Amino acid sequence: MALSIDELKAAMIEKATKAPKPQLYIKDFYECDPDAKPRNVKNVANDLVKEGKLMFWSSGSTTMYALPSRIKNEETREAAEESK
Amino acid sequence: MPKHDTPLLDELEKGPWPSFVTDIKRQAATKPECWDILGQVELSYKDRITHWKHGGIVGVFGYGGGIVGRYSDVPKQFPGVAHFHTVRIAQPSGMYYSAAKLRAICDLWQKYGSGMTNMHGSTGDMVLLGTTTPNLEPLFYELTHDLNQDLGGSGSNLRTPACCLGKSRCEWACYDSQALCHFLTNHYQDEIHRPAFPYKFKFKFSACPNDCVAAIARSDFAVIGTWRDDIRINQAEVKAYIDGKTPSNGGAHSGRDWGKFDIKKEVIDLCPTGCMWMEGDTLKIDNKECTRCMHCINVMPRALRPGAEQGATICVGAKAPILDGAQFATMTFPFVKIDAETEFEEVVEKIEKIWDWWMEVGKNRERVGETIQRVGLPTFLKVMEVEPIPQHVREPRSNPYVFWSDEEVEGGFERDIREFRKRHAQ
Ligand code: HEM
Ligand code: HEM
Ligand code: SF4
Ligand code: SF4
Repeated sequence: MALSIDELKAAMIEKATKAPKPQLYIKDFYECDPDAKPRNVKNVANDLVKEGKLMFWSSGSTTMYALPSRIKNEETREAAEESK
Repeated sequence: MPKHDTPLLDELEKGPWPSFVTDIKRQAATKPECWDILGQVELSYKDRITHWKHGGIVGVFGYGGGIVGRYSDVPKQFPGVAHFHTVRIAQPSGMYYSAAKLRAICDLWQKYGSGMTNMHGSTGDMVLLGTTTPNLEPLFYELTHDLNQDLGGSGSNLRTPACCLGKSRCEWACYDSQALCHFLTNHYQDEIHRPAFPYKFKFKFSACPNDCVAAIARSDFAVIGTWRDDIRINQAEVKAYIDGKTPSNGGAHSGRDWGKFDIKKEVIDLCPTGCMWMEGDTLKIDNKECTRCMHCINVMPRALRPGAEQGATICVGAKAPILDGAQFATMTFPFVKIDAETEFEEVVEKIEKIWDWWMEVGKNRERVGETIQRVGLPTFLKVMEVEPIPQHVREPRSNPYVFWSDEEVEGGFERDIREFRKRHAQ
């Protein structure tokens, strides 16, 4: 049985919190609910971005997802380094 | 921002050809950060390594594509390019726009960016090079509200679809590539603006096999116009070419005297499938052997035209070399009707079948062409519910093994191994 949208969202946030690397591929979220269609997982991930709970990280050719608290923007990182 | 010494780059201004170095210097007159582009590129030439870092979380609200974060890895030396993000703007179908629209976009970019552009990028988009994070939202607001232009795709999104100018100007167009491109751009807005896939996915539309947008080399889903019946021949016009009354190739080779037009040498002998011949004054074509290469039609456009029963061939899986080598798209759907009346349902159905499969089976950062290569074309054709035909075979067999699946063999593969061993000792 597929999870409800809210359960799936919770599982995805948990995954993004606990994963060793902060940035995750969309496919890494598939295992949060193996019964869900990839397209639904993608839509839920994008909803979480809209809600501000996840953030896109893009190399320009690939896009990944991360918890805002776990990825630092290049610019905030620079600022942090300068204030050191 | 000071000028830097750029002896290596200055070499590139010496030829008779246009030079990007000269262009950037000219732009630096109004946008001094451009001196830092030159300074950083000079350093890269010296160090033989790029000093651009790419990637990051920059973007505009609600969009997961269209802005590509670019940063200098030597920002203290070149503060003008510390942030130098790229903005992709969706180009209109067939790249038709007014000079007024281009001026407005350039003015907007002079206001919010470096003024440097790349028209157009390989994806097809108009590419605006170099701005800072705080400028992104105001730029996006004016772009969408005042200029009615949208961002294009980047990252793991559907990339900005691109098409040839097709029926708007070209007599060879076998379907309306602009209409299909425009329709699918609207239909898949979500996939263009937000990531959806294991990796990038590109559509390109050429309305005939001349393939002016190089769809077969550059797109995961290449829709290339073709015809199913016979090449239409006007024998009187064939004669006019033979008699030298009509210049071949629409007069494109008239700059030099190539001698008298020779239909045997220039057309018949160059037909890749050898399916043309003359019977007296009459040109004959064995159409079932024709591969639609367009050569004869390109040489004698007044005499030969694509057939009247038109549609498209869909090829899947081209890519540039990143993980594996470069590859062309593989012919998958030999003939598809391109029909605006049904909202292109035959095309949409195939796109979604590919996406559903690839989103499931494709690995991270694997283009669909690599997925097909990994599982093999027979598996892909089965998933696409396409009957294999000889045209799906790329080369003669070099592999002596033939595999049958269970359901292809009468009685299946079930057998009693003990029964078998009685007759066949181990
Ligand atoms: C004048 C010398 C040789 C001739 C004319 C010869 C000819 C052949 C032929 C006709 C086959 C069958 C190929 C096929 O089934 O398609 C074969 C197979 C084979 N030969 Fe030779 N051969 C020669 C020397 C050798 C030597 C010196 C070796 C090993 C040191 C060797 C190892 C093999 C092996 C292992 C196979 C089996 C290959 C397979 O099953 O794929 N042959 N040879
Ligand atoms: C640990 C060592 C070896 C391993 C694991 C090994 C493994 C294999 C395997 C898996 C095959 C393919 C069998 C098939 O497709 O049916 C093969 C074929 C073959 N091996 Fe080896 N091999 C080893 C050592 C050797 C040595 C030392 C020789 C020759 C001096 C040799 C000669 C051949 C030949 C000629 C074939 C082709 C046989 C045929 O096609 O009928 N192998 N081997
Ligand atoms: S691809 Fe064919 S139809 Fe399109 S512009 Fe080129 S020649 Fe014309
Ligand atoms: S289109 Fe190409 S393959 Fe077909 S008849 Fe003309 S030259 Fe031959």
